[in-house]
Amino acid sequence: MLEVRGVHKIYGEDPGGYVALENISIDIRAGEFLCLLGPSGCGKSTLLNLLAGFEEISGGSVSFDGQPIRGAGRDRMMFFQDAGSALLPWLTVEENVRFALRVRKIPKAKWDGIISTYLSMVDLDNHRTKLPSQLSGGMRQRLQIARALAVEPRVLLMDEPFAALDAMTRRRMHAALIDIWQRTGQTIVFVTHDIAEAIALADRIAIMSVGPRSSFMRIMDVEAPRPRDMSNPVYAALFSEIETMLAPEIQRSEERLG
Amino acid sequence: MSDTPYTDRTLATVAARKKFWRQYQGPLLAALSVGLSLIVWQVLSMTLFDPFLVPPPTTVATSAWPMILSGEIFQDVWISMTRVMVGFITGSAAAIIVGVLIGRINVLHQLLDPVIEMLRYLSPTAMIPIAVIWFGIGEMSKYFLIFWGTFFIVLVNTVAGVWRTPIARQRAAECLGASRFQIFFFVVVPSAAPFIVTGMRVAMASSFMSIIPAEILAADSGIGYLLQKSSMLLQTDKIFVALITICILGFATDKVFRLIVERTLSRFTANSSISP
Repeated sequence: MLEVRGVHKIYGEDPGGYVALENISIDIRAGEFLCLLGPSGCGKSTLLNLLAGFEEISGGSVSFDGQPIRGAGRDRMMFFQDAGSALLPWLTVEENVRFALRVRKIPKAKWDGIISTYLSMVDLDNHRTKLPSQLSGGMRQRLQIARALAVEPRVLLMDEPFAALDAMTRRRMHAALIDIWQRTGQTIVFVTHDIAEAIALADRIAIMSVGPRSSFMRIMDVEAPRPRDMSNPVYAALFSEIETMLAPEIQRSEERLG
Repeated sequence: MSDTPYTDRTLATVAARKKFWRQYQGPLLAALSVGLSLIVWQVLSMTLFDPFLVPPPTTVATSAWPMILSGEIFQDVWISMTRVMVGFITGSAAAIIVGVLIGRINVLHQLLDPVIEMLRYLSPTAMIPIAVIWFGIGEMSKYFLIFWGTFFIVLVNTVAGVWRTPIARQRAAECLGASRFQIFFFVVVPSAAPFIVTGMRVAMASSFMSIIPAEILAADSGIGYLLQKSSMLLQTDKIFVALITICILGFATDKVFRLIVERTLSRFTANSSISP
């Protein structure tokens, strides 16, 4: 569905610029949950921005259903880590969702039904008239999810959406996200630097090396039923395998970023 | 045992006093600040300073009273306020329109910014001589000078506000399906609102500072003219009446401005930044 072929991303002038991504290729299948995993500075957010169409590729091709990606598209919805800046802080919970329905030109008669459906899906039905500033971090992130789902995108691009949340809230958000994903059948590309988070969520994990010239080190399948119990030794083995693979990368990342 | 009710009552009194103090601390101390200043002024005028050069508050009040009764002072206040408001409102409106365009359209910014960066050092006072030649000493020259001062302050703040609109907010709206036009009006302009309001408050204060020299040098009415006339006639008491009037006007206008903003724009200004 999303085809990434030999993609390069260079910032600045072509010779001498910073090569962020080099020769990235992956076919993202319809309905799959793909995690892009890697330490800071590995270009995973860059790749996500290329998929969203926010930035232009420097080489190779990215296509969506066979069409090259040019600019942001309504079928590919980006999620931001900082829900506070992605939401419209002067609108209430339900007005934020209504804004999405208005710009998407969905007939007014359907608005109330859609708003109720998605706000109750993320458990915000009782907070409709609150402003984002009156919500907790987890609630704001759930509102961002409800607002995005309300316009029924086919692909969700999530840029470390739960990184700023506390561990308990993050686990609840994981369960909610998996639940929604299983119900809607959308395709999810999820960026994280947290190995456990990738194992808990993904069908496939694409592990990225540290830049410059980031690329996929390996793409692993996680074939396990959900919900996943993290105390299962299979996951512990997978965790240490990935950790060993990433250890030199993390060290390079720390050296590079100081 | 018999002590208990007494102790309770004492505690209740202390608690009530504390509550009273918490509630009225601000206004009480503000009144004290003004009151003490007046007393110090009065004492200094009667001892250290020449009461002709620095007339004490009592003299100033005695001079102000007939000016209030005859309505003379209000006429000047009205004239100056009208000039400030006309210049301030038109200047703000123009600056907001130009500011959002410059903030959004990079070519426009590169084209206009160098000129703006130089022109904004021309204070309204520097523009008085040419304004008099262009517009005479009538109302138009004062409107122009206040407009001039307001425009650049609000403009710089508006551009900053547009630029500080979180990129995530614009991209999220774009993904949802908003057009460029919708992103501009429903995302960028409201995000810039707190900056615009701050710029307008600064411009308001600067307008009150600019109107006085404008009226001193080129007017036959208004508070500045009252200052100028009183100075020629060596009426120090009237000069002080005019000075205090300016203080009260500026203070009151800012309070009213903030009240209006709170009533109408609180959603935009109170919730502009949220930590994750």
